[in-house]
Amino acid sequence: MILAVGWYCAEHSGILGRQGLSYQCSVAPAAAPVLALIDKTVKYFSRMTEESRCCLRAAKLAMTGARWPAPGQEIGLLCAKSEGLLRANEEYFRDYVATGRTLGRGNLFIYTLATSALGEVAIALSLTGPSMFIQADERPLAALVRHGEQMIADGEAGGMLALWSDSSAAVCLAIAAGTGGETLIPLPAGEEPNPLELCRTLQARVQRA
Amino acid sequence: MNVVIAQSDVATAYGWGLDALWNGLLSGATAIRATNRFAERGFTSDQAAIISDLRIGPGESRAWAGLKRILSPIVSKLDPITPVILATTAGEIEYVERAILEQDAALSRQSHPRFLLQRVKGLLGLRGPGLVMSSACASTAAALTRAASMVRGGQAASVLVVTCDSVSEFVYSGFSTLSSLCAGPARPFDRQRAGLTLGEAFGWALVTSGSEGISILGWGNTTDAVHMTAPDRSAAGLSRAIAKSLAMAGRSADDVALIAAHGTATLYSDAMEMVAFRAAMGRPRPVFSVKGGVGHTLAPAGLVQILVAGRALSLGLAPPTVGLSSPDDGAAGWVHGEAAPFAGRLALSTNSGFGGVNTAILLGGGRTS
Repeated sequence: MILAVGWYCAEHSGILGRQGLSYQCSVAPAAAPVLALIDKTVKYFSRMTEESRCCLRAAKLAMTGARWPAPGQEIGLLCAKSEGLLRANEEYFRDYVATGRTLGRGNLFIYTLATSALGEVAIALSLTGPSMFIQADERPLAALVRHGEQMIADGEAGGMLALWSDSSAAVCLAIAAGTGGETLIPLPAGEEPNPLELCRTLQARVQRA
Repeated sequence: MNVVIAQSDVATAYGWGLDALWNGLLSGATAIRATNRFAERGFTSDQAAIISDLRIGPGESRAWAGLKRILSPIVSKLDPITPVILATTAGEIEYVERAILEQDAALSRQSHPRFLLQRVKGLLGLRGPGLVMSSACASTAAALTRAASMVRGGQAASVLVVTCDSVSEFVYSGFSTLSSLCAGPARPFDRQRAGLTLGEAFGWALVTSGSEGISILGWGNTTDAVHMTAPDRSAAGLSRAIAKSLAMAGRSADDVALIAAHGTATLYSDAMEMVAFRAAMGRPRPVFSVKGGVGHTLAPAGLVQILVAGRALSLGLAPPTVGLSSPDDGAAGWVHGEAAPFAGRLALSTNSGFGGVNTAILLGGGRTS
């Protein structure tokens, strides 16, 4: 089940979390102290890519909404990227060619890994469960939820975070054992919105509530 | 339910097929060679394990050329609704190289792995769900755990895992930049080891329920949460992955007869693995790495060593770790430079990678077709 949602983009950020038996919205300002804490305390925050920073913020917001971690809870991470790795790949190789094609920049190379943002989030938030990039050819966010739920059912983790991101926006779902939560973030049966569109949908929903 | 790798195939620098791989390792000779592909680039190494007879059509990527050939025997042979998981780290990265070198921006977009996934599905006549998976150097191992979970959970009768990574300037320059490459052929677990050698591989595995094949009995996926590129010296993450794989299978460490290690030949990663093996197993048992023979093939690495472990289990013979002459202190008595008979039917396979990822899979012996 989806326990909470956190989202972050340049325009806004927020948390939708489950409170008791019903879902309550935390308006965007509630995210501010969480984000300020991350910005100040996470080592190397400034040298992360913008996508990694978005993912970290969205993950922390989702964990806040889910009230994670529970004592002894092992949390894993899944991600999919609406833009793929094209931007990071081009940035690394263009820089390598421009500097003489003999030596690249390690800090650019490492972000060509599909799981680099997950590694950064795991380190910053001390998450030690599984971490994988899983991009389905159809409905990638729904696929992340399905795999996250299955991994919890398999005993691979006590909770899973599913990140849907691009270079300037990230949405993170906190997935727990059990059923329900579909009303928290209805996923369309057809083509899914990109991360920025989803951020805007969630923000509008919070403002209506 | 017993989940198995019922059918599989692999290509490495030793040649096409598991027999070539197995016989190459048993020969003790490495398939790593000096390459002139990047001679003018001034990298820290000129060594690579390259598939020399790969025929690449005009405009094709090495990955697609390799997959077309390795997948050809199963074209139109699978149930069309079979899900497919493509495990790769760099995929068709040559398109990004060419886009920038030839200043043709449109080429870059072709590097998105969804295009390679669609071509694989089209080639095989598959119209079921498709996934691209990546978990750094544990990509194929992680993909096999997801495939096994999907079969065990009743989401699919069979899942096809396809994997590829080729030796490219993009990746070679990156590892050179990180000072990870050895000047000579990689020597996993050796006292004189000085880094990894990149290799390339293509392969596939059909995961399904049954009794014939390599059994996937249990698995564990973990993250170190310590460092982006360096392994956790305490080996806590890999140790937890091993413990999870044993617990899922309902087995104890005493049941493990053989260990297929990631064994990259980097100083800290090999040492970290031995810390985990010693902590989990207590007494020594045969440990091998294939990377002295076929290099570090990145995403396919997990499948390559699992298929070797399967052959080893069926023959009761642990392959040598090619390039080993004097084991490091932590590896002495565990890793061997020559083939060694052993008794037992279970093998542990482990992979670790950048981002602190770890995967351990407990395998049961059997025959592969």
